[in-house]
Amino acid sequence: MTLGKIKMSVATAIATVLLVSGASAQDTKGTKASAELKADYDGSVVGKRIAYLPIMYGSPLALEWGRVLQREAEHRGIIYELRDPNSNVDAQLQALKALIDSQPDVIVVQNPSVTLLMRDLKRAEEQGIHVIQVNMASNYRSDAFVGVDWREIGRMIGEDVVKECGAGSGKSGKVAVVQGEITAAGSIDQMAGINAAFAEDPSIEIVSNQAGNWLADTAKNLTDVVIQQHPDLCAHIGFWGLMQSGAAQAIRNAGKIDDVIVYASGAGSVLDCDQINQGNFDKYLSYTGTVQGHALFNAALSLLQGDDEPGEIKRAYYTRPVWLDASNADAKNCFPLDEN
Amino acid sequence: MHDTNVDTTKFFFRLSSSVSPRLLLSELLMKKWFEPAVPFTLLVALILTLCLTVPNFATVRNVVSLATLYPEFGFVVLAMGLSMISGGIDLSVGAIFAFCNLIALILLLVLEWSIPGVIMGTLAAGAFVGSINGFLVGYLKTRPFLTTLVTVIIVRSVVNLLNQEHALTFATNYVESDAWDFIASGQVLGIPVNAMTLIVVLIIGHILLSRSRFGWRLTAVGASRKAARHAGVNVNAMLFSTYIISGLLCAMSGIFFAARQASSDSFTGLGWEFQALTAAVLGGISFAGGNGTVWRAMIGGLVIFLLNNGLVRMGVPGYITSSSVGIILLVAVAIDVKWSKNSSKASELLYVNPTRIPLARRPSIDAGDDNPFARNDRLLSSEIFGLNQVEGPEDVILDRQGRVYGSTRDGNIIRFSGENFKRREVFAHIGGRPLGMQFDPDENLIVCVAGMGVYGVTREGEAYKVTDETNRTWYKLNDDSRLRMADDLDIAPDGKIYFSDCTTRYEMTTNALDVIEGRPNGRLIVYDPKTGKTHTEINHLHFPNGICVSHDGQSVLIASTSLSRVYRYWIEGPRKGGLETLLDELPGCCDNINRASDGTYWLALIGIRSPAFDLAGHMPGFRRRMVREIPVDEWLVPSLNQGCVVKFNDAGEVLESYWDPEGVNHPSVTSMREHKGYLYLAGLENNRLGRIKIEGADTEWTGFDAYWGDPQKGSA
Repeated sequence: MTLGKIKMSVATAIATVLLVSGASAQDTKGTKASAELKADYDGSVVGKRIAYLPIMYGSPLALEWGRVLQREAEHRGIIYELRDPNSNVDAQLQALKALIDSQPDVIVVQNPSVTLLMRDLKRAEEQGIHVIQVNMASNYRSDAFVGVDWREIGRMIGEDVVKECGAGSGKSGKVAVVQGEITAAGSIDQMAGINAAFAEDPSIEIVSNQAGNWLADTAKNLTDVVIQQHPDLCAHIGFWGLMQSGAAQAIRNAGKIDDVIVYASGAGSVLDCDQINQGNFDKYLSYTGTVQGHALFNAALSLLQGDDEPGEIKRAYYTRPVWLDASNADAKNCFPLDEN
Repeated sequence: MHDTNVDTTKFFFRLSSSVSPRLLLSELLMKKWFEPAVPFTLLVALILTLCLTVPNFATVRNVVSLATLYPEFGFVVLAMGLSMISGGIDLSVGAIFAFCNLIALILLLVLEWSIPGVIMGTLAAGAFVGSINGFLVGYLKTRPFLTTLVTVIIVRSVVNLLNQEHALTFATNYVESDAWDFIASGQVLGIPVNAMTLIVVLIIGHILLSRSRFGWRLTAVGASRKAARHAGVNVNAMLFSTYIISGLLCAMSGIFFAARQASSDSFTGLGWEFQALTAAVLGGISFAGGNGTVWRAMIGGLVIFLLNNGLVRMGVPGYITSSSVGIILLVAVAIDVKWSKNSSKASELLYVNPTRIPLARRPSIDAGDDNPFARNDRLLSSEIFGLNQVEGPEDVILDRQGRVYGSTRDGNIIRFSGENFKRREVFAHIGGRPLGMQFDPDENLIVCVAGMGVYGVTREGEAYKVTDETNRTWYKLNDDSRLRMADDLDIAPDGKIYFSDCTTRYEMTTNALDVIEGRPNGRLIVYDPKTGKTHTEINHLHFPNGICVSHDGQSVLIASTSLSRVYRYWIEGPRKGGLETLLDELPGCCDNINRASDGTYWLALIGIRSPAFDLAGHMPGFRRRMVREIPVDEWLVPSLNQGCVVKFNDAGEVLESYWDPEGVNHPSVTSMREHKGYLYLAGLENNRLGRIKIEGADTEWTGFDAYWGDPQKGSA
């Protein structure tokens, strides 16, 4: 390449850049409508603060919600704050009070029980903060609820149990239930759904109904006894995947894992799917944590963009539970844990 | 080797000689309040850190929020602390709190009791569970750790069972009550009602623990059950009531929580026993028992509470918050164990802090020198009496009847009378260690008693207290209001008793260390019988020992043992209040001074200086190592194997000396008293008294009549 040719190609390149940039400069605005829409959107959401207060950030479901919220929020210029009480309810209560004092725009909270945070959530809305309760609601109805309809979860599991163990199935009809924390929304309403389904088939008998308080160890201890007393147990329902893995272990230890139909519900993480694929859970109702995360963010967006004062409206965004079993518990339906 | 450039009569010099960082540290280590000083500093540092790092932390709103949230935990920490002070532990505090919270809600929402009924019922429930713990620990002698651990399991099960039954009621019922709302969120003087209650409980608790019989007994039980039982404390009842109080405190906590949160769950109060334990230990309430205050519990409680609160608010991952409390517990327990084991050792190790001793020139004592100190054997001719009938008489004195008084180590005043002083009787038992003596004008024998103070004995042998305390020096860490070692006294013509308290840092048994330390730890104290008041006249004196009012009653002579010198302190006349050196170039360490019949004074030298001793006086580091590294009997001290009495006059001239050069009859003379031509001799470590005839002395002169006047002849 001679010097003349180099000069020539540099000139060409400069001309090309100038032409291209000139053309794009003309197109930066796009349509007026979309520009206005985006400007309104940014005006409502950019710089706003979303505070996220789960029960325990270490749990797969809370991690997934947080992951989606953080990623979406930061992409949209929203400030995301996390408070992790790590299952310490006193810390959660304190964190909530401190959050209210610091006045974020939206608080996303997962209630450990229907009563504990109730008064403070109400106070938050009185102070002008939108409150979104996720999956585990309290007795106070805040601006938005995002998550599963626990009655629906209970009814779906209950109806399936009736189908598998009820009249005409030739099975004993005996069902054991391990609830979570007895005062949590996930326990109270899910049990109501189960009871409603069972009411339609008198041959179904709940032989044991106890609280495992979300602990696998407690579930295992409870189930150890139940399986001894009722070797002909037909189905075992546990209210949360991680807890139910303990119950499944007890059933496996008793050599009944192939006889008892083990039901669980939960986040839908690979941990739960591993349990399905290992044969510990026969049927699993996933809340679809990733979808819930997006629903959460969208609920927050609609609150931020709306003109409603906190506490003025009560909206619900129910997510659709999805049945998983050995046939579909794969990477498509189970979210991984390592994406943080 | 001597110091001529320092004037020990100057207060500032003596004060600065009392100051040393090491000494300060050793005295700090011994202070009760120093133990919580460390966690308190931690608390302050934590608060400052949180103010700087957590947004909106240093706001009134946040402080009120925290004040609303903390008290429940505070009550529980207090309950834990109390059980630990009693020498036990109450692991059931969290469970009792949860139980009482539940009971309050049941009484209110299910049984629909009135608010006072709910409060009384809940308190009763807490006291009931506490009484089970107390009964098991106090009367059945079960171990508190296991007992309360079992209580946790039982109470938690009850809570879970009742929760299952009533959870829905709590969730759906609501009571409209102003009183209940007040308990939930009311304020008194701007302070949340629960915080106010905690403050009141803390003040009551403080008074109860530190100022009441109950508190003292509780601490005694915690420190040593056996010793407490031997002291007549009803240990069983004490422990029983401790756990009841612990239960009551948890119940208060439960009431406030129930009112504010109206929520009962399986996780209410879960892990609080662990956090409360961490808080109590961190605050400085020892696992070993018998040591702790309510404030320490609160300091620890606040640290744990604020740490949790702050870390969560900083957005720190939850597992770090949880594990940090665990790590703090480990560290606090390790420090507690090491502290309780070693702090006394450490302060002991640091306690003796020798400094440079400004000794004046040491005169020659060689026999045959033309020098009043020249050694002779004038004490070898003494008549010994009371052999093995006294034990360590520091002083000797005679009454108007010519009876001789000495003392014994076990607190008796011994009187010898009759021919050759053959008749021995225990004149009085005071206790302590009687040292210097003097008769007051009413012929009561006033005695300095080491470890007790100044006491008197009437002519009939009845002992009574004259004084045992003086004003506290405001700038000293060491509480010097008690008299540690009243050593010698004399009585001024106006009746005021001047006495030396030779050390404020050591005891009778360790007073040699004060001389080795060489710091001005002693003082001259005056007791005025007219007002009954005692006050420190001169502070920071180097081991003031012998005290003698001058013949004219205008001044007090003060012998300093560690400086080997005699001061004159003017109590009357134009120089009143002035301190000056009367004698300094002395061959030995001064002890008692008494008046002689010819208008001069007698001075006893307890030990004789040597070149090595003087050299050591300039080597504080050497003396420090000496007391730390070698046994007492090998310490370099003045020679105690000779006896010496010196005579000097008001002009500060030494006139003559009396020696027992080998210490055959009277080694280490600590006092002498002239009476009718004889000089009576005593020694702190001797088993005898003795007397020598003084050539040319007035054979009619007695100390009492010369000073107070002969009542038969009228005043002198």
